Amino acid sequence: MVGLSLGEKNFIQGGIAQDLRSDGRKRLTYRPVSVETGVIPQANGSARVRMGATDVISSVKAELGKPSSLQPDKGKVSIYVDCSPTAAPMFEGRGGDELSTDLSVALQCCLLGGKSGAGAGIDLSSLIVVEGKMCWGLYIDCLVVSSDGNLLDALGAAIKAALSNTGIPRVLVAAGASGDEQPEVDISDEEFLQFDTSDVPVIVTLTKVGRHYIVDATSEEESQMSSAVSISVNRKGHICGLTKRGGAGLDPSIVLDMISVAKHVSEQLMNKLDSEIAAAEAVEDDS
Amino acid sequence: MEYVNPEGLRLDGRRPMEMRQIRAEIGSVAKADGSALFEMGNTKVIAAVYGPREVQNRSQQISDKALVRCEYSMANFSTGDRMRKPKGDRRSTEISLVIRQTMEACIMTHLMPRSQIDIFVQVLQADGGTRSACINAATLALADAGIPLRDLVTSCSAGYLNSTPLLDLNYVEDSAGGPDVTVGFLPKLDKVTLLQMDSKLSIDLFENVMQLAIEGCKAVANYIREILLENTKQLEYRRGL
Amino acid sequence: MLHSKTFVKKTRGGKVNKQVREHYLRDDIYCGAPICKVCDSSAARLSPSASTILIVDTNVVLHQIDLLENPAIDDVVMLSIVLEEVKNKNMAVYNRVRALCSNSMRRFFVFANEHHKDTFVKEMNKESKNDRNDRAIRVAAQWYQNHLGGAARVLLITNDRENKRKAIEEGISAETIESYVKSLDQPNLLDLLVQPASEDVNMEEVEDLRPSKRKVIYAEHKPMSEITSGLHRGIYHQGKLRVNRYNPFEAYVGSESIGDEIIIYGRANMNRAFDGDIVAVELLPQDQWYEEKSLSIADEEDGEEDVHLVPNSADDAPRTTNVVQGSAGDAKIMSSRPSGFVVGIIKRNWHAYCGSLEPMPLPAGSGGTAHALFVSKDRRIPKIRIQTRQLENLLDKRIIVVVDSWDHLSRYPSGHYVRTIGEIGDRDTESEVVLIENDINSRPFSSQVLACLPSLPWSVSSEDLANPIRQDLRHLRVFSVDPPGCKDIDDALHCITLPNGNFEVGVHIADVTNFVLPGTPLDDEATQRGTSVYLVERRIDMLPKPLTEDICSLRADVERLAFSVIWEMTSEAEIISKRYTKSVIKSSAAMSYIEAQARMDDSRLMDPLTTDLRNMNTLAKIMRLKRIERGALTLASAEVKFQIDTETHDPLDIGMYQIREANQMVEEFMLAANVSVAEKILKHFPVISLLRRHPSPTREMLEPLLRTAAAVGLNLDVSSSKALADSLDHAVGDDPYFNKLIRILATRCMTQAVYFCSGDLSPQEYHHYGLAAPLYTHFTSPIRRYADVIVHRLLAASLEIQKLPSIFQDQPQLTSIADNLNYRHRNAQMASRASVELHTLIYFRKRPTDTEARIVKIRANGFIVFVPKYGIEGPVHLAPRSEKGSGEWFVDEQQQKIKKMDGSLSFSVLQTIRIHMEVVEPQPNRPKLQLTLI
Repeated sequence: MVGLSLGEKNFIQGGIAQDLRSDGRKRLTYRPVSVETGVIPQANGSARVRMGATDVISSVKAELGKPSSLQPDKGKVSIYVDCSPTAAPMFEGRGGDELSTDLSVALQCCLLGGKSGAGAGIDLSSLIVVEGKMCWGLYIDCLVVSSDGNLLDALGAAIKAALSNTGIPRVLVAAGASGDEQPEVDISDEEFLQFDTSDVPVIVTLTKVGRHYIVDATSEEESQMSSAVSISVNRKGHICGLTKRGGAGLDPSIVLDMISVAKHVSEQLMNKLDSEIAAAEAVEDDS
Repeated sequence: MEYVNPEGLRLDGRRPMEMRQIRAEIGSVAKADGSALFEMGNTKVIAAVYGPREVQNRSQQISDKALVRCEYSMANFSTGDRMRKPKGDRRSTEISLVIRQTMEACIMTHLMPRSQIDIFVQVLQADGGTRSACINAATLALADAGIPLRDLVTSCSAGYLNSTPLLDLNYVEDSAGGPDVTVGFLPKLDKVTLLQMDSKLSIDLFENVMQLAIEGCKAVANYIREILLENTKQLEYRRGL
Repeated sequence: MLHSKTFVKKTRGGKVNKQVREHYLRDDIYCGAPICKVCDSSAARLSPSASTILIVDTNVVLHQIDLLENPAIDDVVMLSIVLEEVKNKNMAVYNRVRALCSNSMRRFFVFANEHHKDTFVKEMNKESKNDRNDRAIRVAAQWYQNHLGGAARVLLITNDRENKRKAIEEGISAETIESYVKSLDQPNLLDLLVQPASEDVNMEEVEDLRPSKRKVIYAEHKPMSEITSGLHRGIYHQGKLRVNRYNPFEAYVGSESIGDEIIIYGRANMNRAFDGDIVAVELLPQDQWYEEKSLSIADEEDGEEDVHLVPNSADDAPRTTNVVQGSAGDAKIMSSRPSGFVVGIIKRNWHAYCGSLEPMPLPAGSGGTAHALFVSKDRRIPKIRIQTRQLENLLDKRIIVVVDSWDHLSRYPSGHYVRTIGEIGDRDTESEVVLIENDINSRPFSSQVLACLPSLPWSVSSEDLANPIRQDLRHLRVFSVDPPGCKDIDDALHCITLPNGNFEVGVHIADVTNFVLPGTPLDDEATQRGTSVYLVERRIDMLPKPLTEDICSLRADVERLAFSVIWEMTSEAEIISKRYTKSVIKSSAAMSYIEAQARMDDSRLMDPLTTDLRNMNTLAKIMRLKRIERGALTLASAEVKFQIDTETHDPLDIGMYQIREANQMVEEFMLAANVSVAEKILKHFPVISLLRRHPSPTREMLEPLLRTAAAVGLNLDVSSSKALADSLDHAVGDDPYFNKLIRILATRCMTQAVYFCSGDLSPQEYHHYGLAAPLYTHFTSPIRRYADVIVHRLLAASLEIQKLPSIFQDQPQLTSIADNLNYRHRNAQMASRASVELHTLIYFRKRPTDTEARIVKIRANGFIVFVPKYGIEGPVHLAPRSEKGSGEWFVDEQQQKIKKMDGSLSFSVLQTIRIHMEVVEPQPNRPKLQLTLI
């Protein structure tokens, strides 16, 4: 909980109204974003993303499994978020569970598309090894190490970076297996499958404070919000998912307005992120 | 299994008396009052300290000294096998307790009555020696938070495999099932504050192995001092002194 | 102290788990060449004058290990990557290379290239593991070349064409092993070379030279992936192939998946598998499950369980193929036992084999390369084709040969010559063969081992006497009773009558652990040897002679250190109290069994020593009786004793070993001491005690005994050891030898007793069936058995007079020591038996004999007889091999009888017959003892 005095509250609200926020940013400016990839060598892919004092780590682990009988031609992806107590004492014990679940659900609907997997940012059919029998399951685990607002955008960015860092070993299926048995597989040490992450959307959260909305709110600013809308937009400018949090109602026209702003902002964020990811990968390859 | 080859090299190329590469970073959690990241080889932990601050739960308040609390958690991705464990399993609870007791012993709690200090340690990667890494990270985080300490407490483990005492076991060596001695040490006071061992070891060997772990603690202490000194210089510099 | 290095992380995509290991690169790894100015040369192993330093690749090590072991090859740098690859591929070769590297006589240096900052290579994109490792080897070679400058030539030895080409391109001198060996100009080394597969074309010539042989083509082995999935689906069955000792064309595979043994007939079905290989087998359709009725005496139980002397040479089954062909025609009996054929070999059990070359004419112009067939002494091994340049020298020698490959196009496996043992038929050579076949180390002790011995002459020092843990028992009248001529006396006894009428009885065992300290080279050597080996003409000691015959031996009239077990017993031989202590004793007499027996029997003698003997004998008799009442089996064995000519070492006479009361008396107290010690150590160390157990025989194992007994109208109760012991006691026939014969038959049904670590089994399994004791161990012969040394240390630790060595912390290691002890004991027994067999053969070579024998087993074409006088057993054929069909005899399984068709003659089991024994030589250099009915 952020405890603020009345003066501080007015200062924040006033700043937003004048398009000059407490840290000197404009309403639609992000804090500096830094990306580090390969931070968890044990994972198939990982990334750490920092936006100001917000710090999250995302890792991707691939496991071989059986595809579900409803979608025999698709792999499985699941996202879990964990809020470490290091980020805030209130996450101690089970204190972070609620927020964690909230974030997991929001990320799933922003990145993974519908129940059938249609419209997902990740091509689920590329995860299939033997149709109906074997597929890769991707477990995306995120950890909030430090929180200073705008967790969802940071997590979304971290997942995107982690996925582009992910290499999955090539699987060679031994011939001859038939019937119901699980096929024998051999895993190649040398070749890795890289994902095409260009379709993975970014998430832009617009937080409404007073009569204006801002991007990348800090936790102080978040404490003054009436509602927030998170919109995930892919490179083509399509809206991939949307969630609204906060109790206050929004006029539909404002929502539409927000979407078009988000679309515009997302382009900048996407470019920024891509260049950061590319730089991070280059650093990792170098070391 | 050969953990030390006849040439005297361990599986990862270290000699028996060598530690893994250690690295520390202060202030890795911006919002916390004090924080640090500590790496011993592939083991990587983050510690954050909040406090001293008002006691959250009044009934726990202690009138003559500070309340120290600790929580240890492991990230889902921290181990080789992905696992999703419920929070507060027995192992975590036990390690939380060990860290709390070790840290409490070196915090000058009597200077901060009726207050609360929270230490949170988060394991990002586990490759053996997480206990030691957590204690080292917590020490740095406490120092970063400016909490008065009697001494720095540092920790290191040592084990005994293939009839050789080995310093700072990594996960593979730890899984061999041999004895593993974890020592917490106050370098300036020259006192042992934590001593744990699993499996069994004859007494004279134990002495050797423990001595080796203490040497490890001293090495960690030197490194931690350097890091703190460097950090202080940076702070001075930023203040323009 | 923290020496941190730049490091890279190595990732391995194992299964699905990605594993990450740290890999530190160092700058303190030295080159091992004393000429080097830069490196610390304190650990250097290469010779200072080396002009050429060899770097070998993995395949050279794997295939040419025999060559590397030859002292002509030296100054070799063994890269850690090569060692690692060898370890993954072949553990046996790895151990041999490791032994070479640690041998101070050889100049092999291990260079940890994988951890050296300049020689570590990172895996490149799309590079296979092998390519990467080859590159690592080249980088290391290059490093050596640059590092040593012009001081020495660095030569990479590789047979990989691609690797060699790349090396030369990179400016490294590289040669194949063949060209290097040729350049050494030592032609005999060439024989040690493994022939590369590409030269197979040449190998075919040997077939052409022998037109009578038809070229057999074996089925190709299935690829590993197919075998795995086949095993998975239950089409194939996995198991260890055991070739019938008596008929090498028949083998069994014990398969867990079908819970029965699969029989494999013929070399074609065995499909190139060797005895001991782990194979995958496919079953034949049931209508092909026939038993080939042959003249061969196929012993279904294999030789494994029989503990009696069965001379290999006497029960020789026909080996040539024509016999099988001859009998295959007339009868193919349907069998219920599944038979199958080998589809693939999962793990090879190839090792070195002893034998000789099949006689062949010398090719014109000696000195050239000749092809020859090697016939192993072990008849289960097929002939092996080798190439040699010294055929002339090898023809009449026992040689050692190693198998390299067996191509499906060639009838015989190909191998190469390793070394010569000596002349065929020479007693020393044949003894050496016995040792090699049983993996017994008969080399002299190394200087490091001998350095651990106390200086001679040794005597009990004042410190020993002053030591509080050591009790001074020199005042006691201690004496020893052993076989005549025994020099390694490890036990002595004393017996005093106490004022209360009870007896104090002490067993004093040589305090070997006072001299053999844990962790010393002496201790390591003894751990490896495990036991002393007794051959007819020599003894191979576990401990060096000064310890065995002097310092530890409890000889008469000298002060010696001992470990004593002292009981107070009532006159009814009830143990009232037990005491264990280290002690100093002075034996007053070292008697032989005969001497001790004579003293006891001579009623005129009333001296204190004789009284002690008689008292002890009385106690021992009671103890023995009690033991038998508990159900201990008195088993019998047919041990023979040779009289050896002191000059020629040839056997002069042969006879059964006579067991006297004195033997039984000593044995009884030794058993009691072992039991007491077992209880004591187990109480203190419940999971790390070394005990000895004897599993109860299953009904199936006793089946042959029951069948035989039933045939002579004897009903044996085998429900418990007690019941069996009783019914054995009641088995009295008309003749005095009958009971012993039954006991001998019973003994061979039992498995052997084995050592084990108490933590590995549950207490119910500790039982010793033969002795009817719940706990048993070995304590009383530490000079000649390593198990006793371990038990001594455990006992000392349980008395808190000595610390337990650190090895006991490690239960898996203790288990592996126990396994090694069992292996060594078994081998020692096999070697003793083989030695007796060898001497029996030598004895009968000049003395054809007629003697009495007992029929112990009826066979389709004859029977197996036991010759009590000489303790041997072998087949008697009723129908000569050349005669067609064995139709005139038929077997009555039920009655265990074999009858002539016309009813004129019949033989039944246990019947006494007279036979003629003679040494014949059906094949050159394969003399054997033949038994014929008179």
